[in-house]
Amino acid sequence: MRMIKRLLALDGVNVVCHFRDDGGFVEGYGLMSRDDMVRLARFAHDYRRMIQGNADQLAMFTGMRGWTPPRGWIVRGAAQSVCGVGNLVCMVDSAGAPLNEILLELHEVSHW
Amino acid sequence: MVILDDLMRLPGAMAAFEFRGSGELLEHRIAYPDRINPTTLDLLAHMCSANTSIATMQARGWEQMTAMKGFYPVQEFTLIGFDWSVVVSGLRRERHKQAGRSSLPPFTGVVLANESADYEAAFALLEGGGPAS
Amino acid sequence: MSIVSDLLAQPGVIAAGEYAYRGDRFSYRGALSEEHARMASIMCRATTMGTNMESAMLEALRPGSGLHPPRGWVVRGPGHTVCVMANVFCLLDHTRGSINDIVRLMRQALGDATNELI
Repeated sequence: MRMIKRLLALDGVNVVCHFRDDGGFVEGYGLMSRDDMVRLARFAHDYRRMIQGNADQLAMFTGMRGWTPPRGWIVRGAAQSVCGVGNLVCMVDSAGAPLNEILLELHEVSHW
Repeated sequence: MVILDDLMRLPGAMAAFEFRGSGELLEHRIAYPDRINPTTLDLLAHMCSANTSIATMQARGWEQMTAMKGFYPVQEFTLIGFDWSVVVSGLRRERHKQAGRSSLPPFTGVVLANESADYEAAFALLEGGGPAS
Repeated sequence: MSIVSDLLAQPGVIAAGEYAYRGDRFSYRGALSEEHARMASIMCRATTMGTNMESAMLEALRPGSGLHPPRGWVVRGPGHTVCVMANVFCLLDHTRGSINDIVRLMRQALGDATNELI
């Protein structure tokens, strides 16, 4: 899935990684060591499952449609943000990165 | 509550709310009461309180392990559901902590419809920059 | 599964069953509706994923913490307690039963269960 590399062309995207459904690292590109990319992929896999649990329980307790299945998550820090969609995770600059566009691109690429 | 009213002007805003660190819902605004109610918001607040704590733990651990900076403190956590997203921020609290104040303001959150969600505008508002251009 | 039967035979146990780490399968015995057992299995799965994630993070930061891999978790309310170990849950009225006994029984049966499927 080298097509994920195109995400690096977006402003502010520093790292992009792809992981398997079991959390195993597939590939990653950008300004990060391979060891840290493997950690990032593991983190994103855990978050994906956590968000799934959140959405399942929210839907279950409220009866409100529209939460599940979840599409992704964003953790925004002072300087760096991490966003996950499907089996992809990106690390981006918190200032200036067009996050709306990045999320759309992540969503598209995650379906390839 | 100025911030909640501003959040309700975001594209796709369904609800805006404040909540304690322990999750209890405080002030809130709801645009479509037939779609979302205070009980749902309260549950959402508790969930986001837990997720923010987990994300904070993760951010601290990550910075320690990798020596990378800029993740902590977590400014916002966003859950993107199938149709709705919820964005919550504890940044006001972090600023109070950094200023040495012991009494902390509540967390703030907004629920957005995905098809028109402007995450960047939501972050800008929650970070106190005013409505994004 | 015999652990479920053993748990049901303990004083105060309202229901016990199994949940799946992935997917929606579950089974149970005791005084729970099918719908409530289904809900319980969703909650158990979500919380087990969370505790495993958290303990893995802790272990990465502080190897040898003794908390990884986690065996299970317990949530205690004013009158009821939920005990979960591996993929088995037990709902207990702790005013009529002993949490220590339940946890001991679950650890004996499930304490060495692999978490590789999580």
